[in-house]
Amino acid sequence: MVAAPLPRTRHRRAFDILFRLGTYVALLLVIGPAAWILIGVVARAVPHWQWKVLTTPTHGTSGGLENAIIGTLVLMAGVFIIAGTIGVFAGIHLAELARPRRNGKESGGLLRTASDVLSGFPSIVLGYVGYVALVVGLHWGFSLLPALIILSIMVIPYIAKSTESALRQVPTGYREGAEALGMSTGYSLRKVVLKSALPGIVTGLLLALAIACGETAPLIYTAGWTDAVPNLQLTGSHGFAYLTYPIFTFYNQPGQQAHDLAYDAALILVVIVLILLVTSRIIVARTQRHADR
Amino acid sequence: MTPEEQPIKPSPPVEIASGPPSRALDPVLAALDPDRARPAHVMESKALKLSFGAKTILDDIEMRFTRGTITALIGPTGSGKSTFLRTLNRMNDKVVGFSHQGDVTLDNQSIWEPNQDLLTLRRRVGMLFQRPNPFPMSIGDNVVAGVKAHRIAKGKQLDVVAERRLREVGLWDAVKDRLGDSPFRLSGGQQQLLCLARALAVGPEVLLLDEPTSALDPISTEMVEGLVRELTPALTIIIVTHNLGQARRVSDGTMFFYDGKLIEHGTTSQMFDDPRCEQTQNYVTGRMG
Repeated sequence: MVAAPLPRTRHRRAFDILFRLGTYVALLLVIGPAAWILIGVVARAVPHWQWKVLTTPTHGTSGGLENAIIGTLVLMAGVFIIAGTIGVFAGIHLAELARPRRNGKESGGLLRTASDVLSGFPSIVLGYVGYVALVVGLHWGFSLLPALIILSIMVIPYIAKSTESALRQVPTGYREGAEALGMSTGYSLRKVVLKSALPGIVTGLLLALAIACGETAPLIYTAGWTDAVPNLQLTGSHGFAYLTYPIFTFYNQPGQQAHDLAYDAALILVVIVLILLVTSRIIVARTQRHADR
Repeated sequence: MTPEEQPIKPSPPVEIASGPPSRALDPVLAALDPDRARPAHVMESKALKLSFGAKTILDDIEMRFTRGTITALIGPTGSGKSTFLRTLNRMNDKVVGFSHQGDVTLDNQSIWEPNQDLLTLRRRVGMLFQRPNPFPMSIGDNVVAGVKAHRIAKGKQLDVVAERRLREVGLWDAVKDRLGDSPFRLSGGQQQLLCLARALAVGPEVLLLDEPTSALDPISTEMVEGLVRELTPALTIIIVTHNLGQARRVSDGTMFFYDGKLIEHGTTSQMFDDPRCEQTQNYVTGRMG
């Protein structure tokens, strides 16, 4: 005999279906725009794609993008080194070293507040601060160093926060086990804890780099623009090229060549971000062979 | 005369069965014993009172652990036995609000003495946890993780250490062909044995076991219990367990905790067959959980 359905069973079933539908709609709303943008960029850039774009510097609003590509790569490397180091160390401090106070309150208050305030600044404000203080104030001119400093300041809070939360998710068992074996805090951090937190930290770094290479506002104020292929001169170089500038500026210029270059730059940025993604996946997969997941 | 036959007419505090019998009885063996100059009680707790903030967790714990014996800590949940165990290698020090009075000594030296190196203390007093907690590295690296940290061995020696310790815990044949694999593919029991091998690898004198078999199946439990027995008298073992049968099977002495106090302690047979306190009686007979 089949048991009679309980009252409200229908309601629950309907709710269940609605809930599932909701998640599918959200999924579509996320995938849709991403695919649209991707397809849009590829469809507009590929038909007129010429490989010499990669090897020719910009000339006015024509030529290629060699200067901008090298500039963006240099900026990313610099941000990776400066912001990566500072951000990861700040995150380690927040998660591991700042001990909870006696009254049970959260620790590392000053660093946390500073980090939160920084991440709340609009990037254009940071850019303008960089312009006033570094480009003009210190007579550095539009160049690599002020751009690096401002970009780093912008992404350090992201890196610190993602490092901290990755470290906090490391199972207590690892820490206790290391502690009980007589490993010092630093040793267990390096050999046991960081290893298990690595995916989170790498993801944070990747996000930061993606933000850094896609940022325009602070760079306009600190790096300026030049047709010249960048060298590693830190200050006083009268402009520094990067990929978002042609996207932002050339699109509003008359002429098919300028528009083409804008789309080429967008495509190259997308490819760079994809490479970042794939690299991080490979790093994570290689280091997590022995992970408990 | 073995310790079990000794007439026990207790007047507290009682001594737990004193070490390997041969040492106490045979003067020749006693003279050859490399440990003869060291105190017979490897660890002592002297009027230990422990609080987290305003809450007193342990009160007036007076206990001596004889070298080379197994002591079981029993008592209901929340009675403070695990806290006591974790105090012995100072795992509680960093808990918010931790404070203590009285003292715990290792070889007559306070574990909180300023010149007592915390890392060395934990090398000498090892610990095994309730849930197996292998590190996220290969099986082989897990065994020698502590050895590397303390720079006890290096290079090729590490492989020798790994093999010795894995053989010691009876895991070698099961893992010898996959030392580079993740430990998380092993069964729970095997993981716990791996953690035991890791703890043994740094050469501890005292091993603290915090309910080491409560997450394991019966066969693994039996293996761990057998190993624990084999590890004495080379090691002194202190084991927290909720399993009264286990306490009875493996231990020489038993301590009964209730509500942060050490109610009674004595030889295991006396504690189970002829307890002096009514609370102990109720607990070991299952009338109180």
